[in-house]
Amino acid sequence: MDLFVMIVTSFLMFAVGLIGVLAKRNTIILFLCVELMLNSANLLFVTFAWQWGNQIGLLWVFFVLIVAAAEAAVGLAIIINLFRARQVVDVDQFNLLRG
Amino acid sequence: MNQVEIQIGKYKQMVPIPYNPMLWFLAGLAFVAALGVILYRKPVHACLSFLLTLLSLAGIYLQLSAEFIAIMQVLVYAGAILVIFMFVIILFQDAHEQLRLFKAQSTSRLLYAAGAVLVLTILSFAGQIKSFSGEPASLPPDFGAVEPIGKALYVDFFFPFEAVILLFLVAIIGALYMGKKEKI
Repeated sequence: MDLFVMIVTSFLMFAVGLIGVLAKRNTIILFLCVELMLNSANLLFVTFAWQWGNQIGLLWVFFVLIVAAAEAAVGLAIIINLFRARQVVDVDQFNLLRG
Repeated sequence: MNQVEIQIGKYKQMVPIPYNPMLWFLAGLAFVAALGVILYRKPVHACLSFLLTLLSLAGIYLQLSAEFIAIMQVLVYAGAILVIFMFVIILFQDAHEQLRLFKAQSTSRLLYAAGAVLVLTILSFAGQIKSFSGEPASLPPDFGAVEPIGKALYVDFFFPFEAVILLFLVAIIGALYMGKKEKI
């Protein structure tokens, strides 16, 4: 039963993150939603590591944590540069590459 | 396995319950806080709601006896990543107000798309639901401790570990370069 609840929670968190990325307009909230999706994947890794008694799943969580930290550093630097160029945080206003 | 005390007449008995109620509570808390991330209007509130999600996830990891990962979650996510987010939110303090000045271009269409994706995923998920039951395997005694994870990281997974370190170094240099005002 615990396994089922954890899987459903992970799925729901991923869905919330996906809806946030598709529907929100604030760049920073968008980025938070990406982190939310990474966290839901982490929850699934830990759940199945616990289910099968296997340590390797925890290792992958460690790797995901490091990649999330790197992604946050680079992504927020990009967001700051976008803000300097346009002075807005609305993704709808970032149409520099529009053809 | 958790146990609960049941009293029938004058007999008391410890009965194992097949689930962990703390885990369910933390899972619900994580989901509600995740909803808060997309429902709060102010970014600071969304960020604090995300902090609540991270902390309840750390609690879940503790309940699943993955102590090292729980500590890493609090240190790296709540301690480092969220602080960067807070700094950027403070930096753009006035710009968040401008969101109301512009009309959204395609939000409703994207919401429909997200709803369609959600329904499709639920449908494909519901077919598999029976294979998700089953009791957890018996955990090794040192499950989730630092020592076996560190041993696996430095022996079995040495090359992926070094690759991730290189990735992190490149990310730091890239972030520094992008943060500079005058480009080289």
